[in-house]
Amino acid sequence: MFNRELVKGSTSLLVLQLLNERDMYGYELVKEMDRRSDHNLQMKEGTLYPALHKMEKQEYIECYWQNQKKGPARKYYRITAQGKEILAERTSEWHRYVQVMNNLIGKNES
Amino acid sequence: MASLCSGNEQLNWEKRVMTVDEEELFRDIATQRFLNELDKEIGDYPDKQSIMADYKLHVYDLLQEETLDGDKIYEELVNRLGTPKELALLWKQETAVTPRKMQWLFVLCNFAIFLGGVLLTIGYNVFDWSWLESLWTGLTDATSIIILAYTMFWGLLGYEIGKAFGARGYKLLNKTFIFSIVPNLVFMYLIVFKLIPYEWFQPILSFRLVVVCILCTGFLYPVSWLGYRWGRKASV
Repeated sequence: MFNRELVKGSTSLLVLQLLNERDMYGYELVKEMDRRSDHNLQMKEGTLYPALHKMEKQEYIECYWQNQKKGPARKYYRITAQGKEILAERTSEWHRYVQVMNNLIGKNES
Repeated sequence: MASLCSGNEQLNWEKRVMTVDEEELFRDIATQRFLNELDKEIGDYPDKQSIMADYKLHVYDLLQEETLDGDKIYEELVNRLGTPKELALLWKQETAVTPRKMQWLFVLCNFAIFLGGVLLTIGYNVFDWSWLESLWTGLTDATSIIILAYTMFWGLLGYEIGKAFGARGYKLLNKTFIFSIVPNLVFMYLIVFKLIPYEWFQPILSFRLVVVCILCTGFLYPVSWLGYRWGRKASV
């Protein structure tokens, strides 16, 4: 488990990354995040929706309803062109940050 | 069949697709308790139906795909999703900043800066207060700092809009900029065409300062735009 603030700060980036791969609905996003992080990135699932709403407001994602053969229609989210652009910017920044931190912490440890 | 999220689609999601068996899931007392509490905590939010639809669908998926202890469904929902109070607070925070509020905040801030300047100028020229004279002298000696601080205000305008509204903020930035710049243009017009007592602004009003102010005004949009780009990076 990681620091809650750290997880909170990276939720939007993770959501954009997952939606960049395929359209997903809310519950699916939570499960996918949990699965890929080996249950290390546990967040309160209900906090995902304000984050999705914010990104929708910022025009990084958009939603659509999809009827299902069984069960209620699902609200799917997909990434927009602006969302892809900000994802590329932030991912590159994140990689640089991780590299710098690795260099600094690695040097201190050796 | 897929359709874009519209208000009506969100409102009708239950009517359109829920079968009797599925509705049974929501009749469970613990589930109802959680959803009712959330509904109550969210209050009169305009997009409430859509928010509740998101949580109902989430609870539906959770109950369909996972086996929860029948006696502890409410506790499990709180543990997994968060308490209704926590969730309602998050929504209140999320919806506190609206484009309209943000726009008027900066328009009024700029207006207040101008109003402060006007009152200071009138006070200095009409009254014989020593403290006001000292303040006036101090400010007129620090024009570079004032110009720098004022330029930063316009950078902040762009930054806050970019941070809160991301890609959508660009149109808002332009709109806010146009509304906010009005006092600057009016003041510049009054000064250049000498429609307000010129001598009131002596000794600060030199030809050099007028040129600097005109150039700086032209520079305000690029500063706001750069602020917006920086804020947009921080929006995710």
